[in-house]
Amino acid sequence: MATDPDNIENLVNRRYRHGFVTDIESDSLPPGLDEGVVRAISARKNEPEFMLEWRLRAYRHWRKLKEPTWAHVHYPAIDYDAISYFSAPKSDADRPKSLDEVDPKLLETYDKLGIPLHERARLAGVAVDAVFDSVSVATTFKAKLAEAGVIFCPFSEAVQKHPELVQKYLGSVVPQRDNFFATLNSAVFSDGSFVYIPKGVRCPMELSTYFRINAANTGQFERTLIIADEDSHVSYLEGCTAPMRDENQLHAAVVELVALKNARIKYSTVQNWYPGDENGVGGIYNFVTKRGDCRGANSKISWTQVETGSAITWKYPSCILRGDNSVGEFYSVAVANNYQQADTGTKMIHIGRNTSSTIVSKGISAGHAQNAYRGLVRVMPQAAGARNHTQCDSLLIGKDCGAHTFPYMEIKNPSARIEHEATTSKISADQLFYCRQRGIAEEDAVNMIVNGFCKEVFKELPMEFAVEAQNLLNVSLEGAVG
Amino acid sequence: MKPLLSIDAVRTAVQQLPDNGLAAARLAALTRLDADGLPTATHEDWKYTDLTRIVDVSNRWLAAGATTMPVADAAVAAITDQFAASWLVIRNGMVDARSIAKFAQSDVRIDLLSASDKALECDAPLSGLNVALLQDGLAIRIPANIEHAGTVGLLFIDHAAADVGVSQARIVIELEGGSAADFIEYHSSTGDAAHYANTVIELRLADGARCNYVRVQDRQAGHDQTGRLTATLGADSRLQHAAFDLGGNLVRNDLDIKLVGRGSATSFSGLYLAGREQHVDNHTRVDHLVGPTHSEQEYRGIAADAARCVWNGKAVVHRGADGTNARQANHNLLLSAAAEIDAKPELEIYADDVKASHGTTIGELDQGALFYLRTRGLDEAAARCLLMRAFAEKIVVRSPLPAIRQTISEKVAERVAALIVGDAK
Repeated sequence: MATDPDNIENLVNRRYRHGFVTDIESDSLPPGLDEGVVRAISARKNEPEFMLEWRLRAYRHWRKLKEPTWAHVHYPAIDYDAISYFSAPKSDADRPKSLDEVDPKLLETYDKLGIPLHERARLAGVAVDAVFDSVSVATTFKAKLAEAGVIFCPFSEAVQKHPELVQKYLGSVVPQRDNFFATLNSAVFSDGSFVYIPKGVRCPMELSTYFRINAANTGQFERTLIIADEDSHVSYLEGCTAPMRDENQLHAAVVELVALKNARIKYSTVQNWYPGDENGVGGIYNFVTKRGDCRGANSKISWTQVETGSAITWKYPSCILRGDNSVGEFYSVAVANNYQQADTGTKMIHIGRNTSSTIVSKGISAGHAQNAYRGLVRVMPQAAGARNHTQCDSLLIGKDCGAHTFPYMEIKNPSARIEHEATTSKISADQLFYCRQRGIAEEDAVNMIVNGFCKEVFKELPMEFAVEAQNLLNVSLEGAVG
Repeated sequence: MKPLLSIDAVRTAVQQLPDNGLAAARLAALTRLDADGLPTATHEDWKYTDLTRIVDVSNRWLAAGATTMPVADAAVAAITDQFAASWLVIRNGMVDARSIAKFAQSDVRIDLLSASDKALECDAPLSGLNVALLQDGLAIRIPANIEHAGTVGLLFIDHAAADVGVSQARIVIELEGGSAADFIEYHSSTGDAAHYANTVIELRLADGARCNYVRVQDRQAGHDQTGRLTATLGADSRLQHAAFDLGGNLVRNDLDIKLVGRGSATSFSGLYLAGREQHVDNHTRVDHLVGPTHSEQEYRGIAADAARCVWNGKAVVHRGADGTNARQANHNLLLSAAAEIDAKPELEIYADDVKASHGTTIGELDQGALFYLRTRGLDEAAARCLLMRAFAEKIVVRSPLPAIRQTISEKVAERVAALIVGDAK
């Protein structure tokens, strides 16, 4: 994709533009976590009994768990009792029925972010379920989706209206006890998106949610559940920006995808949470569990992510290839600048026959950042004909940063074909020299080369995200070049 | 509950060892071993290898009085006659003094470890166990600017009959500035009882030293081995290493190379051929502490029957080690539904002027190539054998001592043929 060098230069020299806080009165629980808090969260959402029980089971187990330390990241200990576990924009009882009723200040926030709500959303053909802190406040395109039979709503609404689906699928991909952060999320999750695509339906539009952390001292615990029934198809876009602030914020989301027979799910993320300043002060702690289950034959789940934000990223979008002939894909660009730390990758678990997976990971480190790829490819004994190709490349910009790869391959079936390749290098002096002698400024040349390095991943993104991703990349590397 | 190493029994065994120059080191190692214990599967480096069996064998051996059995001269000659080398022999962990005497006129300086003042590496848990129970070891020194002609053979041979056996052996090799020497390290064992051998080699290359090193492990089917080689490379020194794992039961090798001098380079490779219920684990680690330095490794493995092969290669490029090249390659053939391959190529890079890469493949024999050979009139077994040999031979031709390649090639062919027979069962 061609990029205008002037544009890049502006972007490179720009500070984090999404750094602002909208001053809206928040209805928060006091900091701390005990059974009472879990009950209070559940009560505020008027949840049915099964949900409360589910949360409490998770909470009781979480109390027995220890925070994992195996990731290649370092951060001061998190005081889980200093976090407020619920924050909702004011007046939960009289929630807006339409956009007109939405707090204009909130809409202004979206406006600043350039989120395509109402007209813009319609033009872009995007339905938006915007999560502002913990409660979804605006949902559009419901009618069009309802016509197709697609359920796309806030998670809390799904709990009320479709409890049977929630009860059947919640925790079926990421079990409550999966890991420390997923268990915490299971206990206190605030809200998120719920999607159900019925049998044979191709979702008429791309579904998009903008997550945004706003109230100070509030952990954000989204929970997203997407179910694609037999022969259905859905593409889901998730984008994140966050206000600038000095205190670290904890974010522990869970995303579960279920693809039944012949279903396809494409999940794209652009993550641009506040990464902290040039000195590593502040920034979001992003501990996310994302997993897709190709439950039916011929199903396909594709993860694409552009990770440019967060002080710390701990995230491994994975695929369980259970159905015969199922396909898993993971395309990732992870950028770490200044003092950012990222430990990210994927897991591909081959269980069905003739399953295949592709992993393309591009890591870019600059400044004092540490960027690690951690991946697992496991072929179970029954997974005849499994195929995996993994490519993970790292680019180093500057002498103080680090790039690491920790790939695991565990192969138990002789008919498997597994290939893994990885490279780490700095920007090629030859390429840079070539660009320079064609009259391209060094900074532009570097941006061009970096964009080229990531091209394989960007081409997997939906069009509007691809453009945003390129811009984000350049902003993220601001100050790293020259 | 996994059996824990009986520290009290180790303590008793330590007290019965000869009171030589190693006594203080043994006690220090014992204290550390008592505090740290042996690793379990929760240790990242031991994720794929369970030491339960080795601990069990050690406990039984300690309970039976920690005795050492003699090794027949014929068994030693059967190995040493195959290679043109001057052999130093360690039988069941006991240094064979006669083999040292043969070096009296040589430019290679050999001492007992107990008579030298070497500080022994004790960083890894099994290295600590090794020091604690070490009867004695060897200190080999190649004086400055001496290029030793011929190959020095290091034979570790054990015998376990009727009762269990355990042996610990350690050799410290120093190549002084500008010197050069070739080594072959050979592991062999006889006897039907359970046996566990634990060996440590410490290799220190001073500036400009050159070393070629080949390790062959061909132990008895039921015998276990853990081996560790640590190497420190000074400026402009060169280490070429090749390892062949053909026999044994549970086998774990650690290769730990530190490139501490500018311009130092190492190239190492390994071949593991595992059948039955063999478990062969190769862990390699290269630390590029300064730049420019260069490392290159290629490991290849074949897992047949119910074997499990593990390869974990790690290259760490430390801060400021600019101009470093690090290459890793690992290729595996998985030939049976009950076999398993685990591979983990790791790179940790903290400098930017670096070229690092790794490539790993795992799969079965190429069906197209098999078909081609069948159309040329080869039967299934012959075709498979040819392809497996071709796969393995890549490591044989990379090995640094041309004079012994032919012998190794024959051993590899023999082992490949045995895997095919196992396959057909």
